Amino acid sequence: MKKLKYIALILAATSFTACRKQLEEKPYGFLSTANFYKTEADANSALIYAYSILPDLDYYSRNFITLTEAPTEDMEIAAGKSADNVLLDKLAATSVNGTLRPGFQLPYVGANRANLVITYVPGITTMSEAARNEIVGEAYTLRALHYFNLVRLFGAVPMHLEPVDDPSKTNLPKSSIKDIYDQIISDLTKAQGMMDQVRHVGRINQVGAWGLLSKVYLTLASAKDTGSPGYDFVASADDMYAKAKEYAGKVVNDQTVYGLDPNLSDIYDVNKKSGPEHLLDASTDRTGTNEGLYSKLPKMFMPNLNFKLPNKVFVPGGFNEFLTEAALYNSFDNSDKRKTELIISTIYDVGAGNSPFVGTPQNLSITDAYTRPFSNKYNDSGWQAGDQTSCNTPILRFSDILLVYAEACGPTLEGYNAIKAIRTRAGLGDLPPNLTVKQFRDAVLQERSWELCFEGQRLFDLRRTHNMENILVTKYGKTITGDAYFFPIPQSEVDRNPNLNN
Amino acid sequence: MRTIFYTTFICVILLCVNAASVLAQQRQVTGVVTDAEGITLPGVTIAVKGTGTRTVSDVKGSYTINAPGGATLVFTFIGMQSREIAVGTQQSKLDVTLQNATRDLNDVVVVGYGVTKKRDVTGSVGSIKGSDLNRVPSGNVDQLLQGKIAGVQVMAPSGQPGAAATIRVRGYGSRSDANALVVIDGIPLGDAGDIKQVNPDDIESIEVLKDASSSAIYGSRGANGVILITTRKGKSGQSRITLNALTTVSTLGNKLDVFRDPVEFATINNESRINGGEAPQYVGQKIGDFYYPSVAELRGIDPSKPKWPYYTDWAKLVYRNPVSQSYTLTTDGGNDKTIYAISGNYYNEQGLAIKNGYEKYVGRVNLEQKLKSNVTAGINVISTWTKNYGQGLSVDRNIIFPALNNDGSYFHIGSNDYGNPLQIANEVLNQSKTIDLLSSAFVSWDIIKGLNLRSRISNAYGNSISDNYQPRDATGTGYQFQGFGQLSNYSANHLIIENFLTYDRDFGKNHHINFVAGTSYENTNVRTSLIQGQGFVNDILKNENLAGATTYVVANNLTRTVLESYYGRFNYSLFNRYLFTFTARTDGSSKFGDNNKYAFFPTGAVAWKVNEEAFMKDIPQVSELKLRGSYGLVGNQGISPYQSLSLLGSYKYFTDGGFQTGYGPPFFNDGTNVNGKVFNGLGNKSLKWETTRQLDLGIDIGLFDQRFTISADYYYKHTTDLLRLNQIALSSGYSVIQINDGIIDNKGFELGVNAQILQGELSWNVGGNLSINRNKVLNIGGGNSIEDTGVIEAIRAPLNYFINGQPANVFVGYMFDGINQVDGNISPVDNAVQKAGDIKYLAGGPLPVGQNGEYIIGNPNPKFTYSLNTSLKYHRFDFSAQVYGVQGNDIFNFSKFTPSAQLQRWTPDNPSNVYPSVNSTRVNYASTWYVQDGSFLRIQNVNLGYNFKPNALKGISNLRVYFSGNNLYTFTKFNPSYDPEVGENGQFGGNYRKPRAYSLGLNVTF
Repeated sequence: MKKLKYIALILAATSFTACRKQLEEKPYGFLSTANFYKTEADANSALIYAYSILPDLDYYSRNFITLTEAPTEDMEIAAGKSADNVLLDKLAATSVNGTLRPGFQLPYVGANRANLVITYVPGITTMSEAARNEIVGEAYTLRALHYFNLVRLFGAVPMHLEPVDDPSKTNLPKSSIKDIYDQIISDLTKAQGMMDQVRHVGRINQVGAWGLLSKVYLTLASAKDTGSPGYDFVASADDMYAKAKEYAGKVVNDQTVYGLDPNLSDIYDVNKKSGPEHLLDASTDRTGTNEGLYSKLPKMFMPNLNFKLPNKVFVPGGFNEFLTEAALYNSFDNSDKRKTELIISTIYDVGAGNSPFVGTPQNLSITDAYTRPFSNKYNDSGWQAGDQTSCNTPILRFSDILLVYAEACGPTLEGYNAIKAIRTRAGLGDLPPNLTVKQFRDAVLQERSWELCFEGQRLFDLRRTHNMENILVTKYGKTITGDAYFFPIPQSEVDRNPNLNN
Repeated sequence: MRTIFYTTFICVILLCVNAASVLAQQRQVTGVVTDAEGITLPGVTIAVKGTGTRTVSDVKGSYTINAPGGATLVFTFIGMQSREIAVGTQQSKLDVTLQNATRDLNDVVVVGYGVTKKRDVTGSVGSIKGSDLNRVPSGNVDQLLQGKIAGVQVMAPSGQPGAAATIRVRGYGSRSDANALVVIDGIPLGDAGDIKQVNPDDIESIEVLKDASSSAIYGSRGANGVILITTRKGKSGQSRITLNALTTVSTLGNKLDVFRDPVEFATINNESRINGGEAPQYVGQKIGDFYYPSVAELRGIDPSKPKWPYYTDWAKLVYRNPVSQSYTLTTDGGNDKTIYAISGNYYNEQGLAIKNGYEKYVGRVNLEQKLKSNVTAGINVISTWTKNYGQGLSVDRNIIFPALNNDGSYFHIGSNDYGNPLQIANEVLNQSKTIDLLSSAFVSWDIIKGLNLRSRISNAYGNSISDNYQPRDATGTGYQFQGFGQLSNYSANHLIIENFLTYDRDFGKNHHINFVAGTSYENTNVRTSLIQGQGFVNDILKNENLAGATTYVVANNLTRTVLESYYGRFNYSLFNRYLFTFTARTDGSSKFGDNNKYAFFPTGAVAWKVNEEAFMKDIPQVSELKLRGSYGLVGNQGISPYQSLSLLGSYKYFTDGGFQTGYGPPFFNDGTNVNGKVFNGLGNKSLKWETTRQLDLGIDIGLFDQRFTISADYYYKHTTDLLRLNQIALSSGYSVIQINDGIIDNKGFELGVNAQILQGELSWNVGGNLSINRNKVLNIGGGNSIEDTGVIEAIRAPLNYFINGQPANVFVGYMFDGINQVDGNISPVDNAVQKAGDIKYLAGGPLPVGQNGEYIIGNPNPKFTYSLNTSLKYHRFDFSAQVYGVQGNDIFNFSKFTPSAQLQRWTPDNPSNVYPSVNSTRVNYASTWYVQDGSFLRIQNVNLGYNFKPNALKGISNLRVYFSGNNLYTFTKFNPSYDPEVGENGQFGGNYRKPRAYSLGLNVTF
């Protein structure tokens, strides 16, 4: 009997009471939605996270430029580079094209992060209303930007307006192009009333929201006006031009924070990121630790040689993937500073390595198959021998909005003045007087091509003005396979979202 | 009185008779008893048959016994086959070798929380003695199991020293973690694949628990099988010192298929670039500042230029005939109170590639002390240190240019070339060191007769430190960051507290019960940290001064998981004929979602020992006939912690003059340029374990006292609730989520046979095993198919798919329809206009993949794997050999267009229908063109040994020398320049080459 007692005792001591608490997961080293979004610092950090998607390699620091520039006459993809990019360049991207995939996914990642801010930050009561509004307003603006990109790239797509926090919420059907634009306009209208005009590099404020809104209205106006596919729903092109003019006018006339930079190359100087033109940039810095924190975008444009730039910066060899097309290059007036200053056609000390600058020039020819004149818009004067650069990708620039204003105004005095400012800075004379509305708007479109080339605008400009065939096929002899106005939704979305077409 | 008288009388008579025979015939017989490897055996009982005369061999294995001439001596020893030998009439010396009783039904088999006799096993347990492992250089134990146990498939495609293997027990049954659980001396360590903690010389036995009934004792970790490794213990009554030494020289196992003629290389390169729409390089031109010679110059027929002076044979510079060594020193023994085993091992394996290798030290102490007559305590400590250094090196580099410049610096082809393998070997620091400490202490108390309580506390600690430095001149990364250094740390601590009762008793003659019941608590902490420095002033200090970097990356992480469990096993034997086993375990795991914290896994098994039935007594030839059946549920919890929660990650954004940190749903870079980042962090509160239901039917047959044995098993594994990362709609803002979804079946047949064809002075044994597994995805969830990995750049599409109704990992692509002989065909793949020389594809397949439908173009799962072994012993010589084969699997050979194949390329003059033209910019799609039969049969191991006469040298009781050849030859239809062994997904893209190894070994016992 005594022995049995011992046994009972031992068993009692060695067993343990089952304790569910033991098995509760406490995520050491992780934050979860349960313990976040409590303070102003949390709110700020949630917004920073939403911004941090912008300079991602798969968004503005590369993929977005590939998607929006390669199909146009701005640039072509060098032979032998990514086959998906070559197909994009040849206007033959299908739903399995690998470059489309991040182009589709990343805006949604950004929108989800913005949705988290929009959902959770209003509940943080320990901060001032102004601070809260500023953060939520920026999040609304970011969400609008992402959907503006999606609708222009792909047309009708699913639209998430709440954070996806449960597996049951992942599959939404497509929203119509109209519904997406309605939401974008609603978000931006709300946002511009919540924000101030204080500037932070890489962030957007009230003026930026006005600018973005004016572009949204201009897209609707010109698409309706020209009969561009997918925009039949727009009731009146004139109303939309008026709205575009109203909001672009606010940027042009109603604020003093931004303006035209008198010196063209200063716009792209990495040491002058607070210059007057930057309404919104995807912000990077070469001290970052990953691509996305810094940018390698300049290398995409630069020849695969080691050489020195005119500003004596040593380039250890580019990727030579984005080649300037003769179509764009030859369209410039030879005195246009946007050609002479912003496109590099002479490089120095080729093959000399990272040695003191000697200045042996080599001229680049636009007809060469491999090494052509290349954009100087992405060029870091502090470039170290590695690949990290501080080049921001411009998302919204003052001159862009000034041209939106001109286009919305048409051949009026305001319109002529707006485009004149741009042309004067570039060293060009005035447009001929008394142009018709169409002639004037065509001239603005051409001006936008010179002013904004390599900045991710050209494809959208051609699409919204119904010019894909006129310019790319008729004028420049390209072939378009498939839909010229909307990319196909990536196959990986089609395969995984059963509700897509419900 | 009369009684006393008679008794005395008889005694006297008997004494006289005895005395007379002693005087007439009794002699002393002496000799030494050894085992098959020539190790002397102390403690062997030697008896004169039919008399009470017996003795025991001493520490040196020597014995002396009085026996009459013509008598028969019986040698018996636990774990050995008994031998009966007649003593010659004049014989006074008799040395005896005892064979391991591998087929002895009294052998014990380790089954997890206990042992059982082999004849009483009801489930399916594969077992191998440590002494039966091949004597080959191997950094981990996994590879030694290849072909040894039916139902256990070992895939070891890499020949790199210390490379891990993939082990599958009864097929591939999990998308998240299909690895078997490894348990070393009772410590559940984790996934199989790199069992580096144990020195093969220390292994007593390895058991593999294959069916549900056996593996259920490990509950939620048992579904993929359990590998139990038991290390050697000392034996009481002996005291030995043993030295095992093995020295190995290796050579390249296959002929290389590389360019050997610069002219051929340049011609094909030019042609390839022209076909690809690029300007040819080898035309005697400078590109940038770099001069490419013309083909004429390479030939030496350009009158204006001297013949090109360079040709580099990279294989000569990069490969070597490596030498590897292994030494183990063991001392073991004990008395009736204490047993001990202490051993140390040094292992050093050189790689085929220069400056690449693996070093290991293993130390082990096993000590058991009887504290009281019914209480024993013991400790077991294994410590392991490993160092892995260097890397595999390419021999496919351009042969036209030299390896070094005239000044001895490394030659680079153009300004962006960082692939010089000599420079990588010499300048890139790539090293990782690990320390593992497995320790456990136990107290065992025999409470009452048959009832034992064992309490064990174990701790498995593992640490690794990896160093990496890439100088600016040697690699692309080094150049990009102007020096890239990294130091990463991993440490894991796994504490296990277990208490279990064992009750083992006979009730009457006909009933025997054995039960185990216990609890365990496991707590695992994993801590990682990483410091990365980017940008250094120079490369001198390597990664020893990360503070000097321009930019740092610092990352650290901590995860904790808890597993608490209750387990039990009940064995009941009726009439020693009918055996019943019930096994169950309940696991509570912190990894599971809130809705599913506890999992219960019950199993049962029955066996019928037919040979014990009365009607079998008339057939004495049948020494064993056992029918087995088992069924039950086992689980798999192979997911990372915290997957059930919605987690946040952090990232930075540059604003207001500096990087600010933000928090939100995390992502990670999946390491491929194509797939880019993976966005995750969407939690799943319903996450739980995978459940495998397994049926096993088996039969064990033994004939002629187990000289011939057959063991066969049929199994059916049905795995549901597959844990997997589900790719979700891109528009959700996430890429993947962990879910339970899908069903995979594995059905199979295993056969093990063994025949002791000859016994005695010349003994000959032949054995073999066969494993057939049929894998089928019944439901992959969320659609009819899912790709295993993302897009593979070389074919611009995923390759391996899981498709309902098909085996796991099938290849998906197009049919190869010959080579286009004319320009202008439209490719059904991408609507491109094809040129003559391009591969012609046939689309329109049944799968809704690609724009026109694709086909299943290959199956990487073998139809069967098999192994045959034989051993011969004659006098002091022994010989053994093993062949291993894999049959009926397909390989997707990314390296199919080898240099020798390129010589047969399509050209207008050579309108090949087999090989396409060379083209620098064309991407070939996945098609049957790449798919090759991967079957092979390899002469895995040949071993020839000689045992010197015991005690031939003073102080040395045993001495054995042997030669062992490993990976000697492979019969295959696969490309002869490569080894056909591939990983589970059947992709071949150039592995670290497998060496052919020749070893000399020495075993000495003092």
